[in-house]
Amino acid sequence: MKKTIVTKLIAIAVTVSMTIAMSGCGNTASESSAKSASNAASTAASSEDAKTIGVVQFTTVPSLDNCYEGFVKGLAAEGYVEGENLTIDFQNANADVSIADTEAQTMAQKKYDLVGAIATPAAMSAYGACKANNIPVVFTAVSDPVSAQLVESLEKSGTICAGSSDQLPIEAQLQLIRAFLPEAKKIGILYTTSEPNSITDLGIIEELAPKYDFEIVSQGVTNSSEVASGAEALVAKGVDCFDNFTDNNVVNNLPSVLQAATKAGIPVFGSEEGQVYDGCLGSISIDYVALGEETGKIAGKILKGELTPEESAIYTASEGTPFINTDVAESLGLEIPSDYADGTMVKTGENK
Amino acid sequence: MDVLLGLLQVVLREGFIYGIMAMGVYITYKVLNFADLSVDGSFPLGCCMAAALITLGVNPWVACLVCFVGGCLAGMVTGLLHVKLKISDLMSGILVQTALYSVNMVVTSKKAVLSIFNMPTIFSSGIGGKLYNSALDQWAWVIMAFVIMLIVKIILDLYLKTRSGLLLRAVGSNERFVVSQGKNPGNMKIIGLMIGNGLVALSGCVLAQQKESADASSGTGMVVMALAAVIIGEAVFGKSKFMKGTTMAVFGMIIYRICLTAAMQLGLDTIYLKALMSALFIIALVSSRLKDERSAKSVIRAAISK
Amino acid sequence: MLSEQRSASKTMVGFEHVNKIFNPGSVNEVTLFHDFNLELEQGSFVSVVGSNGSGKTTMLNLLCGSLPIDSGKIIVDGQDITNLKEHERSKFIGRVYQNPAFGTCPHLTILENLALADNKGGSFLLQRGVNKRRIDYYKTILEQLHMGLEDKLKIPVKALSGGQRQALALLIATMTPLKLLILDEHTAALDPKSAEIVMELTKKVVEEKHVTTLMVTHNLKFAADYGDRLFMMHRGNVVFDVSGEDKKLISIRDLTNRFDEISIEDGN
Repeated sequence: MKKTIVTKLIAIAVTVSMTIAMSGCGNTASESSAKSASNAASTAASSEDAKTIGVVQFTTVPSLDNCYEGFVKGLAAEGYVEGENLTIDFQNANADVSIADTEAQTMAQKKYDLVGAIATPAAMSAYGACKANNIPVVFTAVSDPVSAQLVESLEKSGTICAGSSDQLPIEAQLQLIRAFLPEAKKIGILYTTSEPNSITDLGIIEELAPKYDFEIVSQGVTNSSEVASGAEALVAKGVDCFDNFTDNNVVNNLPSVLQAATKAGIPVFGSEEGQVYDGCLGSISIDYVALGEETGKIAGKILKGELTPEESAIYTASEGTPFINTDVAESLGLEIPSDYADGTMVKTGENK
Repeated sequence: MDVLLGLLQVVLREGFIYGIMAMGVYITYKVLNFADLSVDGSFPLGCCMAAALITLGVNPWVACLVCFVGGCLAGMVTGLLHVKLKISDLMSGILVQTALYSVNMVVTSKKAVLSIFNMPTIFSSGIGGKLYNSALDQWAWVIMAFVIMLIVKIILDLYLKTRSGLLLRAVGSNERFVVSQGKNPGNMKIIGLMIGNGLVALSGCVLAQQKESADASSGTGMVVMALAAVIIGEAVFGKSKFMKGTTMAVFGMIIYRICLTAAMQLGLDTIYLKALMSALFIIALVSSRLKDERSAKSVIRAAISK
Repeated sequence: MLSEQRSASKTMVGFEHVNKIFNPGSVNEVTLFHDFNLELEQGSFVSVVGSNGSGKTTMLNLLCGSLPIDSGKIIVDGQDITNLKEHERSKFIGRVYQNPAFGTCPHLTILENLALADNKGGSFLLQRGVNKRRIDYYKTILEQLHMGLEDKLKIPVKALSGGQRQALALLIATMTPLKLLILDEHTAALDPKSAEIVMELTKKVVEEKHVTTLMVTHNLKFAADYGDRLFMMHRGNVVFDVSGEDKKLISIRDLTNRFDEISIEDGN
């Protein structure tokens, strides 16, 4: 009996010390959350108009990281500088919905002045948690905030949510492809069946393709091991080029797609600038830093009281920026279309 | 102080709601001795069904019942795969979990997230709404979660005392014994998996109604969370003779949520959360095994001294 | 003369031309039973002895349905049970295993174990699991064990000693009316004293219930002392079979001599 209690005490002691030890290394390893937040709180407390906000980022991918970077810049542009008059409690949910819920609810309970949310699941968690406390939610990187019921319309939010949408500029992408390949007929698209954004995007591109005289040949895959064979299958069906969505699985296995395309001598069009640096011919990309910056400005205006979320319009990255890889264009013997001559010209691997 | 109370509110509310799932996993893992991985699929099934039904205008309480039945069907498939097709327990669970992803996408009409913001739920309409609009405010949610959990617990405890419930416990304890009683243990396993997954789906349904949205990928890590709750509950309260397994599972879940929230409040980077939870899990597992060994030794000593 | 006596009363169990081959078609193919025939008469208490691999336990498994037979028939009380599943046969066959953990549910209390056994053959729906009115009866039958278990009704069975569990398993196996009781080396895992107690209890239960009993044992003393028929198995055949007065006269020495003869045949 006694022994059991001792074991139990030891167990509890170990747990607690592990928690503390791990939180210690959390602070040193990444300059995140608590420590910087509490330091900031002490300096900001002196200032009159100091604000505390929370940010929930759903997962770690380059585009979302860029959003956060821009978000902080945008707030600074509105006069809220992190560490001076602004404390940011930044939390990453690491793609776990239940963690995102808990983070958002904790922020709501702490009655922060505003909660930022990056990516759709984080925005859902934040809205659900902040609704009852009337804390404004500013989201970004949400493709379709209306169908997610975060806002009533893109023109006027009507809820406690404000922010920005990142719907892929698919039509502009089709125009880019047509400009590069005037004779092309078939666009091959590889997508992962379990990624809902890809399915939505596929629906959109299939609808738009006839307008530019394209035929969409799509191939669904279920996991990373099928990407290479999926790409080969599309080549065998005689596609004239590949086009990517922001499909995580396909993008993570981009080298397999590029190999198949290079062998067949056809180009791959990407969905983000990063893919162009990795060997895609070109892309109409959303600049996520800029998107985050606009979102940060919206958040700043709400903090200042210049804007109420209910009245706000959702910022949409209407025009993407063209990125073109000149190395790839050269090796495929393609001319840079004159319409895109002012786009950003990059070379393979230049960003590293 | 307000913040602390607020955090307590979150911990209790989530503890009670996820506690329903912990009781479901208690049935499969502890009573039936079946490591059921279909939970990662049946939890979002409950979430997605709830959101889809409420969007269709179905009464939220009816939605709870339908979600329970949906979970039961998922559990039945796991059971049939295991019992009739002789697929191992882990494999049957993985297969159903994978297949449920497709089912969930169909339920949400191919949407990754389905919102029911500002629609009537058990928390916002009827008795839940009245409680919320009274002075209770958000404590109303805690009370609602507690009451639903309590009702489920009482029904489950009563069931475990029926003949069917006794037989279910017997299957997990000694399958051969059930055969000796002239009963087919396979059928009881299927029933147990149905109850377990039904409760898991119900838990998902209640959670989706509380946070007013459903996410098809919200099942990730649910099995581990629920198993950890069951094992922590047993490790901490196992010595108590008056506490039922279902109660231990709910308390285990609350302890788990407390540890998680505490870790996050201490500023632990979320990337370390999974490691922390695994550590908690290991400690609970080892301490309950040590306890088992000690009681086994005392049995042997008693046998020798006789 | 023996066969005349036996045919005079009713046959309870019959093996008719039973064949059983293990690992057919492989290099490990073993024919254990070839045209095996056996009859047990109603109400008899039969002890079975034999060395390891002689087919004793396989015979029990074939009878209970734990293993299927390749061809032939198994008859119990005039009914062909060859195609019945194990749990279906359990409705009229009680079995106590060598391992005390097999005959009871370790995580359930004594009371719950008895309540389950009491309801054997009945429906298992949403009725109350433990019928409170039967508790006094359970206490009465537990008292007969003289192990003090009647005061431990709410204790999980896993807390009991091997001997206590095996005594309980015997009560559980014989709680509802049976056609056949199978004792599968049920004293082998117990210490000598517990084994004696369980064996005495076995005798008492069998006499009270008049149930046909088939006891496989390694304990030659028990085989000689208990029961009214004894046979020895070797390589899937009955090689020695005594009953009635002859059985009463058999001694451990006779049995050991028989074993030696078999060993010599084997060339050991």
